[in-house]
Amino acid sequence: MTKYLFKRLLQLIPLLIGISLISFFVIHLAPGDPTNLFTTPNVKPEELARIRANFGLDKPVIIQYFYWLVNILKGNFGTDLLTGRPVVIEILERLPATLLLTGSAYILTFLLAIPLGVLSAVKKNSWFDKSVTLFSFAGMATPSFWLALILMLVFAVKLDWLPAVGMYTFTLKDSPWFIRAWDVCLHLILPVTTMTLVSLAGLTRYQRAAMLEILNKDYIRTARAKGLPERVVIFKHALRNALIPIVTIFGLSLPDIFGGAFIIETVFGWPGMGRLGVQAVFQRNYPLIMGIVMFSAFLIIIGNLLADLLYAWVDPRIRLGEKKQ
Amino acid sequence: MWRKTFILLLLLVMLGGCAPSGQVGKRVVHLPDPSQADPHGRLILNLGGEVSILNPILSSDSASSAVEGAIFSGMIRFNEKLEPEPDLAKSWEVSKDGKTWTFHLRWDVLWHDGQPFTADDVKFTFDSILDPKVNSVRRSDYIIDGQPIVFKVVGPHTIQAVLPKPFAPFLTSAGMSIIPKHLYQGTDINTASLNRKPIGTGPFKFKEWQTGDHVTLVRNNDFYFGKPKLEAIIYKIIPDENAALLAFEAGELDEAGIPAKDYKRILTLPKINVFEYDTLLYTYLGFNLTKPYFKDKRVRQALAYAVDRRQLINLILKGHGSPAYAPSAPVSWAYSGDVPKYPFNPGKAKQLLKEAGYPNGFEFTCLVNQGNKEREKAAVILQQQFAKIGVKMNVRVMEWSALLKIVNAPKDPKEFDALIIGWSLGLDPDAYSIWHSSQYPKGFNFIKYQNKDVDRLLEEGRTTINKEERKKIYAQIWKLIAEDQPYVFLWYPRVIGAVSDRVGGLQLPPGPAGPMIYMEKVFVKK
Repeated sequence: MTKYLFKRLLQLIPLLIGISLISFFVIHLAPGDPTNLFTTPNVKPEELARIRANFGLDKPVIIQYFYWLVNILKGNFGTDLLTGRPVVIEILERLPATLLLTGSAYILTFLLAIPLGVLSAVKKNSWFDKSVTLFSFAGMATPSFWLALILMLVFAVKLDWLPAVGMYTFTLKDSPWFIRAWDVCLHLILPVTTMTLVSLAGLTRYQRAAMLEILNKDYIRTARAKGLPERVVIFKHALRNALIPIVTIFGLSLPDIFGGAFIIETVFGWPGMGRLGVQAVFQRNYPLIMGIVMFSAFLIIIGNLLADLLYAWVDPRIRLGEKKQ
Repeated sequence: MWRKTFILLLLLVMLGGCAPSGQVGKRVVHLPDPSQADPHGRLILNLGGEVSILNPILSSDSASSAVEGAIFSGMIRFNEKLEPEPDLAKSWEVSKDGKTWTFHLRWDVLWHDGQPFTADDVKFTFDSILDPKVNSVRRSDYIIDGQPIVFKVVGPHTIQAVLPKPFAPFLTSAGMSIIPKHLYQGTDINTASLNRKPIGTGPFKFKEWQTGDHVTLVRNNDFYFGKPKLEAIIYKIIPDENAALLAFEAGELDEAGIPAKDYKRILTLPKINVFEYDTLLYTYLGFNLTKPYFKDKRVRQALAYAVDRRQLINLILKGHGSPAYAPSAPVSWAYSGDVPKYPFNPGKAKQLLKEAGYPNGFEFTCLVNQGNKEREKAAVILQQQFAKIGVKMNVRVMEWSALLKIVNAPKDPKEFDALIIGWSLGLDPDAYSIWHSSQYPKGFNFIKYQNKDVDRLLEEGRTTINKEERKKIYAQIWKLIAEDQPYVFLWYPRVIGAVSDRVGGLQLPPGPAGPMIYMEKVFVKK
């Protein structure tokens, strides 16, 4: 097991270099560069050329990549071209807000989707199953920005129960920590609800399908034939197996949790990673884009690894790193 | 500094403005009386975008400029009529030859950290902009014919700018916000940590910047124009326009830009004042004049006749705009409406096409940038309007950077037929960079407009200092350009904004900078 882990972690290095090389070239293929943002009638093209040269963007892409790589090996992820701040700080600054938002939403989604999916599979074709199905399709069809605005209109404008946008109430700046924490919780409710409602649908369907498939397996029939109580059949025999695909999804959604949710963050004015990333792309802010790409790539790889490990834990038939006997 | 970029800022931030004499519905504005001002009042505004950097010589985005406008000040500021007024400079004069400008600075100004402000700070600011290592896009404003303007400290509170030749737009550039020498000297200005916790001389001091969420400024009690009335300004960052409007309705913001579609509904809300005002912006359809069919003036005039501007304004702006016929904005002092106009007349359009040898029309492709709904809609409507005179216009929607790459490619001819885009004009009417033949293929005359008379007048316009003489020169320029129709000028948009009725001290009627032009005067009711 340790050997397997070590091997997987070692594979990270060539993988990350490959990813960085491809992404670096792809983002430089996109037309334009960071100085495009400065286009107004008063700025002369030679000024833009001078600033490009200051940024080192006048050199061939391969040279730029080489410089970037050398800096990375020295632990320097570069400087945001527009704010002049280290990229790492910009990313780390956004991370807590994003983790809080997407983390809460994902946990809530899994907590709700698994029982809903299992119940609708067990009570297949019941009114419960049908209403969950209806709700799931409605959720899949609902655009998140629309739902966000509707929730805001109802709960912030009409009822005035919750704050509409942002993460903090600035007037509470000097209040004790628990009041500020409560304030952040209040601000979290609408965005988390929106994200959960929209992503709940797909996962519930997934869990339902997985559970249905298992319930049709021979060993379930055997378990029932043995006269085991239905509770044991469902929770001990079926659920454990039906969780395997969900574990994969969980592992794969890890990068999303860190990557943030652009639309939700934009609508709710939430200071997260999603906004940072999309803005970086529009600005062609190369060091920042690369920082975010490498960060996400790392998380995707770790997420996959974690999913594999969870697999082995959930499903004893899977033995990692051991040769088949 | 915000004096220079505030037009752009307004477009995105959209502060309020006063409804001009009942163009689209009338609404009486009720402002609270200054005696009701709350000494602990806090005003909450929306920036609409992320703040990148709080250093006026480096920032180029509207959100940063809006915040900098309250923290920093320049030697000159511009009032609601776009006229220069004393700010850090009490007075200024220009030598007879128009080359030496002398500014007499105030003696009573302190930086937010308590240090006195002097002419050295002014020199340091302009020298920093001119430093090639500093990533300032404003450098070209201080270089005339390849020669930099020289700044000389004449006394502790007197500074001179020596220009290589007379240059009228310099006065606008002289309004640039000043940064503190004692804090920036010896640091790398591009990456200085001060860029995130700025020190200025303006009415408000920087307090806090919560990345992506809000920026807080507090009153500068030592402000030289008198103590500001507000205790604090909180700039929230809400990128989504609809969400910002809902936050305004929920009372979480004191002002919001109003999309034309929401105008009627917003008018019915209680406790708000709605403003509407003109800006220095115009939208146009530009032709690549290297294309054979666009080379003929008659074809361009024909297309201009084929455009029904009323329909465009009604459908796209819901009436909140006015038709444009000249490359200047009516709010500018250099505007002249005395230009050849080509109002909607399809019959005349067809006749001109026939004369030009295109009785059956022709086909061209128009570029438009993705995400700008107004321009995307305009493209579709123009497509139909041109179809009526037999001209087929294809529309190609492109990402902004991709479009700029085509337009700015330094080659001749450029690879586009036409495009729908807009100019946000500067405070000075100088339009050299847009229309002078030397600004092609490198520069913003990307349509290759070439007119010897216009070239000569543009050169004259920027070297003449007298305002009345300049007015005459620009009136001639607009006339010549409108006659040539290298662009079909489409419309001037009008900004609609709503401000909570607890906010007073607003500028009525507002100019293009909106009603909150003097932040130190703004207050909120108890």
